[in-house]
Amino acid sequence: MLKSKWLFGFALLLAAIMLMSAGCGEPEEIVDEPEPDEPEIVDPDEVVITVAAGAVGMELELTRDLAEMYSEANDGVTVDVLDTPDMADDRLGLYLQFFEARSPEVDVYQIDVIWPGDLAEHFVDLYEYGADAVADDHFPAIIENNTVDGRLVGIPWFTDAGLLYYRTDLLEKYELDVPETWDDLEEAAQIIQDGEREENPDFWGFVWQGNAYEGLTCDALEWIASNDGGEIISPDGVITINNENAIEIVDQAAGWVGTISPEGVTTMAEEDSRAVWHAGNAAFMRNWPYAYATSLEEGSAVADVFDVSPLPAGRSGSGAATLGGWQLAVSTYSENPEIAADVALFMASHDGQKYRAVEGTFNPTIMDLYDDDEVLEAAPFFDTLYDVFINAVARPSTVTAPQYAAVSELFYNAVHDVLTGQTNAADAFEILELDLEELTGFPSE
Amino acid sequence: MAEKNDHESSKKRPAFKKTGLSDLGKREERLALKLLLPALIIIVAIAFYPLVQVFYTSFTDRVFASGEETSFVGFDNYRRLLSVHITELEPVLDESSGEQLVDSDTGEKIFERPLDVLPREPRRYREYKQFDFFGKRYVIGATDTNFIDGVQNTLVFTVVSVLIELILGLAIALVVNSKFRFRGSMRAAMLVPWAVITVVSARMWEWMLAPSRIGMFNALLDRLGVIDSPIAFLASGSYQLSALIAVDVWKTTPFMALLLLAGLQTMPEDIFEAAEIDGAGKIRQFFAITLPLLKPAMAVALIFRTLDALRVFDIFQVMLGSSTYSMASYNYFQLINNRNMGLASAIGVIIFILIFVFAISYIKMLGADEE
Repeated sequence: MLKSKWLFGFALLLAAIMLMSAGCGEPEEIVDEPEPDEPEIVDPDEVVITVAAGAVGMELELTRDLAEMYSEANDGVTVDVLDTPDMADDRLGLYLQFFEARSPEVDVYQIDVIWPGDLAEHFVDLYEYGADAVADDHFPAIIENNTVDGRLVGIPWFTDAGLLYYRTDLLEKYELDVPETWDDLEEAAQIIQDGEREENPDFWGFVWQGNAYEGLTCDALEWIASNDGGEIISPDGVITINNENAIEIVDQAAGWVGTISPEGVTTMAEEDSRAVWHAGNAAFMRNWPYAYATSLEEGSAVADVFDVSPLPAGRSGSGAATLGGWQLAVSTYSENPEIAADVALFMASHDGQKYRAVEGTFNPTIMDLYDDDEVLEAAPFFDTLYDVFINAVARPSTVTAPQYAAVSELFYNAVHDVLTGQTNAADAFEILELDLEELTGFPSE
Repeated sequence: MAEKNDHESSKKRPAFKKTGLSDLGKREERLALKLLLPALIIIVAIAFYPLVQVFYTSFTDRVFASGEETSFVGFDNYRRLLSVHITELEPVLDESSGEQLVDSDTGEKIFERPLDVLPREPRRYREYKQFDFFGKRYVIGATDTNFIDGVQNTLVFTVVSVLIELILGLAIALVVNSKFRFRGSMRAAMLVPWAVITVVSARMWEWMLAPSRIGMFNALLDRLGVIDSPIAFLASGSYQLSALIAVDVWKTTPFMALLLLAGLQTMPEDIFEAAEIDGAGKIRQFFAITLPLLKPAMAVALIFRTLDALRVFDIFQVMLGSSTYSMASYNYFQLINNRNMGLASAIGVIIFILIFVFAISYIKMLGADEE
C-alpha cells in the first residue's frame, strides 16, 4: 500500500521532470533573463541597442559594418548585432520567445515581408519617430504592406524576388539560349547535365529550394503564378489553389526531382542550393538576389561565368517572382525606443541601403537607388530586372493573417508530398483545398 | 536499490507501534518533516506549478506571444488531437459486369476514395492508413494525422533505438569490463559521442548523410559501387527514421554502456571463480550469473533511455524540420510556428501521460524483481 503510493509519486515526478526538460509550453523557461543592468556597470551613459539580423550570405557582415558606423558617429551608443537562424520559420520562433517574455533584450528586429500583420502588436509606430519624412522614398507597395491600422510597424530594408541564375559559359558551350519557359529550362538543363556528367558526376541541371519550409512556398508560388494558376488564396479571400494549371505545373516540377534536379533537392534551403551552384555543380539555380554578390566572391567556381534573368514562364506567358524582403521594426519592449528607431532608420536610410546594395547586392527599397551609378555598376541586373522587382507576386499573408503560417505549412507540405512522390498534385490540392477551407473559413473557387 | 530498502524499513517501523511513540520519537518525526520541507517546496515550485499551468492552458485557446483574449474551450484541443474514425471502404464495381474494378497499371483493386467516405463535420477526418481485414478494406481517419504520425514515429524510434542501444551497450560494457592494456583511455574514448551536444551531432550527421557525394555515406556507397545515384536519406520516408535511429544509437550507446558497466563492476569476483570451479563455461556464466545480477542496473538504464527517447526533439527538429514530426517536435511546431499555445499544451499533457505510463510500468517491473 505504502509502496505503491511511493511508486506512483516517483513515477509522476519523473514524468513531470522529463516533460519540463522537453520544454513543453512553458514560456518562462524558454528565454534567457535579460540583463539590462550590465552595460551600466561599464559606463552609466552608454546605451546598447541590439539588432536581431539575418546571417544569410553576407548579411551579417554588412549589418555589423553599419552598426559600427552608427556607433562611431554617435557617442554613448553601441549597436550590437545578434545573428539569428537562416530559415525564416526558425527566426520567427526565436522572435516569438522574446515577445512572449516581453524581453527588452532586442531593440530592433529584422522582420520578413509576411510578418507585419501577425506581429504588429509588438512593434512601435515608426511614424511617431520620424519615418514620415522618408516613407515616400520607398516602394509604395512595401510601405503599404508594412502599415497596419495606419501604423508603420517596419521600415523597408531590402526587397527580394526570385531570380534564375544561369551559367553563361555552359549555355554558350551547348549553344543554348537563356530559357524563357519552364519547358525550355527542362530541356536545356537536361542537355547540359548529360554533357557535363561525363567529366563531373556531381553535376546537376537545376537546383532550387525544395525542403518543407517557407522557401518552398515561395518557389511553388512562382511556378503556379507563372502558369496562370493563381496565388493559393486570392487577395479577396477565395481559395484558388485547386485548379488545372496549378496541378499541371506542380506535377511537372515533381518530374524534375531525380532527373534534372538531385533527389536531395527536397531537403534543400537557399544556402544548400547555393553551395551546389557555388561549387560549379549546377547549370541553373533559383535563388534570391543576395546570391549574386556571393557568387562573385573569391573561391566561387562560377565567378565570371554566370548571369541572372527573370524566372521562366508557364502558360501565363510571363515569369513570376515571389515578393520577399525584410524590414526593420522597433520593439515596444525596448528600453530606448527613440534611439532604437534612429538606428533602424539609419540602417534603412539612403546611404545605408546604398552600402548594402554596392557591397552585397541587396535590393534597395528606395526607388532613387535604382538610378544610382555606383549601385548599377555593382549589380547591373537591378536595371534590367527592375520590372521583376516591381511586379513581384505577394504571398497571401495579409488576407490570411494571423493564420498565414498555418496556411503556408499546409501548402508547402502538400507540395513537398508531391515532390517526394507520395501523392500526385491533383489529389494533394483537392485535400489542400478542404484543409484551407476548414482553417480559414474562406470559400473556394 | 539498497537505499530504497532502508527507506522502506524505516517507514514501516513507526507504523508498526505508533501508539507507543515516545516524545523523542515525535520530536524526531517533526524534525524529519521540517528537513523534508525545502525539498517539497522546490518540487512544487519547479515541477507541479508549471505542470498545473500546462494542464490549465490545454483547456484554452491561448495564442503564444500575443495579447489576445483567451477563452476556455474544454476538451476541444484533445478532441482535435485524438479523434480517430474507422470505416469500411466499399469496392468500386464495374457497372455492366458487377465485378470490382482493377487498376490497369498496378493491378490493384480499386476501392472508394477515403476522402469521400470520411466524415467532415464537425471536424474533417484525414486519411491516416488503409488496411485489409477479412477481405474487406478499411480506412483509419484522424482529425490530426500529423500528431498521430508523430506518436507513431516516436514510439517506433523509442523501441528500436533503445533495443539496439541495450544490445550494443551490453557488448561494449562487457568488453571494457575485462582487463586489457589502455582500458582507462578506452573507457574515456568510448564516451566521446555522448559528450557531443545533440544539436551539433545532428548537424554533423546531416552533413554525413548529405544527398550528394559531399556526404560521407553517399561517397562511400558510390566508391563501393553499390548505388547508381546518391540516396537522399533525409528526404524519403523509408530512410528518415532509420537514419535518425542510427544517429541516436551512435550518440547514446556509450551512456547505456556506462550504466551497465557500473552494474558489472559491483559483481564480486568470487562467484565467477566458484562457477569456474564447478565447471560452468563462459556462456553459462553469462546467462546464469551476469545477466540476472545485471538486471537492476539494466532496468535503471532502460528507464532513463526510454523516457529520454520518448521526448526526442533535437534530432527530429534539426534533421527533418517540418517534413516529419516526433511528438515533441510537433509540439514545438504548434507552439512556435502556429502560435497555438492551447493545442501545444494539450500535446504536452499527452506526452506527459504517455511518459507517466511508461515510467510506472517500468518501475513496477523493477519492484517485482525485488520481492
